[in-house]
Parts: sequence; C-alpha cells; structure tokens
Amino acid sequence: MEQPDPTIHQPVRLKIMAALKPLPVDEALEFVRLKAIVGATEGNLGAHITTLEEAGYVAVAKDFVGKRPRTRVSMTPQGRRAFEAYVAYLQEIIGASA
Amino acid sequence: MSLSSQEASASLQQVEEASRRSSQLYFYHCSSPHLIMWGIIWIIGYGGTGLFPGYGLPLWLALVAIGTVGGIVLGRRYRRYGTSGPYAWRMGALWAIILFFVFATYAILPPHSGRQLCAYPALITGCAYMAIGLWRGLRYVASGVVVAALTLIGYYFIEPIFFWFAAVGGGAMILTGLWFRTA
Repeated sequence: MEQPDPTIHQPVRLKIMAALKPLPVDEALEFVRLKAIVGATEGNLGAHITTLEEAGYVAVAKDFVGKRPRTRVSMTPQGRRAFEAYVAYLQEIIGASA
Repeated sequence: MSLSSQEASASLQQVEEASRRSSQLYFYHCSSPHLIMWGIIWIIGYGGTGLFPGYGLPLWLALVAIGTVGGIVLGRRYRRYGTSGPYAWRMGALWAIILFFVFATYAILPPHSGRQLCAYPALITGCAYMAIGLWRGLRYVASGVVVAALTLIGYYFIEPIFFWFAAVGGGAMILTGLWFRTA
C-alpha cells in the first residue's frame, strides 16, 4: 500500500481540505467560516493554509468588504485530486482490514 | 508512515463531519438571498392585499411570477461557479412547488374566509422550513417554528391579519435570511 500524502495527512490540514471539498469548483470559503468548521486557532489555521497553498492544494484570495479585510480559501484542481486520493487511501486501509 | 484501520476510520469520520458542516454553512449562505427576497414579497403582497383587497389576486400572481424569476436568477448566480453543488435552482423550484400546492389546495378546498386564505400559505411555508431543516440544519427548523407560531398567533388573535403577516411574517423571513448570512 502506498504512503499517504504527508501534506494532507496532518489532521488540521485534512479538515481544511474536507471543508473545502463540498464547495462548487472555484467557490471559496471565508477564513472565519473555515476557522469555525476546523476548530483551530487563527494562527494555527493560517500556518496550515500556507502549507497547503505552497503545495498548490489551495488558493488564497484577499480583498476588502467595505473597510474590512477578507481572506477566502478555495481548493485547486490539484488539491481536489490529492484529497480524493487521500480519502481513497483511507478507504483502502479500512477495506483491507475488513 | 502507515495507519491502522482504526486511525483511518477516525480520519474518515473527521472528513465526513467537516464536509457536512461546510455543506450546511454553504447552504445557509445560498438560501439567504432567497429568503430575503421572499420576505420582501410577503410584505408587498400581504400589505398590498390589506390595503387594496380587490387587487389581492392579481397582485399575488404578479409577485409569484417575480419571485419565481428571481429564484431562478439567484440560483444561476451560484451556478455560474460551475456548481455540482446541492441547491442553486432547487431553492427557486421549492418555492414554486409550495405555491403550486397552496393554489391547488385552494382550488380543491376553497377557503371560507380571508383569514384562512392568508394564514394557509404562511403555515405551509413554516412547515416547509421545518422539513428542510431535518436535512439541512437547525436554523431552518428554528425559523420554521417561528413562522408557523406567528401564523397561528396571527390567525387566532390578531386583527387586521394582513398587516400582521406583512410586518411579522415578511419581517421574520428577512431576519432569517440575514441570520443565515452570518452562518
């Protein structure tokens, strides 16, 4: 059995990817909503998003709504493929032990 | 690096929970403009019917047409993202089904008073919210309970009922839409 993707394997990053997966293609999730879903602190979440961004798995867009800064995160096609492969890997482990 | 089947199972559960929560929040987000639009339609429809009872039917027919087109437009706004997602046009279709059901019921079982005519669609709407909430989240259930309760309070205790529904029913839908936007 092949090794899991180390970028997605980390629990917080796995949750980030799982939260982004159900969104339509090119749709993004706001940082504050992502934080509520993942349950991580702001700094921790930001660090993991940066790791995923450097791997090419997520895209980060920053803009302003009025005077308020907004950060939005979306899953890239590469990230979608990597996440699906990781979930398939997990299912394979469960299937192999059944 | 390798995982046991228990660890893999726990990871999959985390994936499912995060995906479910994300889908729920996104559904709230997409529902929000539909609810606000229908809240405004309620205010105009019930308020207009209360002020000009003779024009109630054509007013509502026009508003239903506007609401149906508006639902499609709002649905397309999300479809342009290339969605394979769960709602989009379905929210507009849901309202069309509810309205069809209400008018069909009026045809089969004509209401005996203006109060019944007024309260029935609002009650159906509240029940529809509760039913949606069984699959889509507690906020919908809570909103449905509020709309249904306000409807029954209005039906039994409030006069004039049209303005009650315009202010409280329409207002509740708008507030629900704004509440969903914060999800």
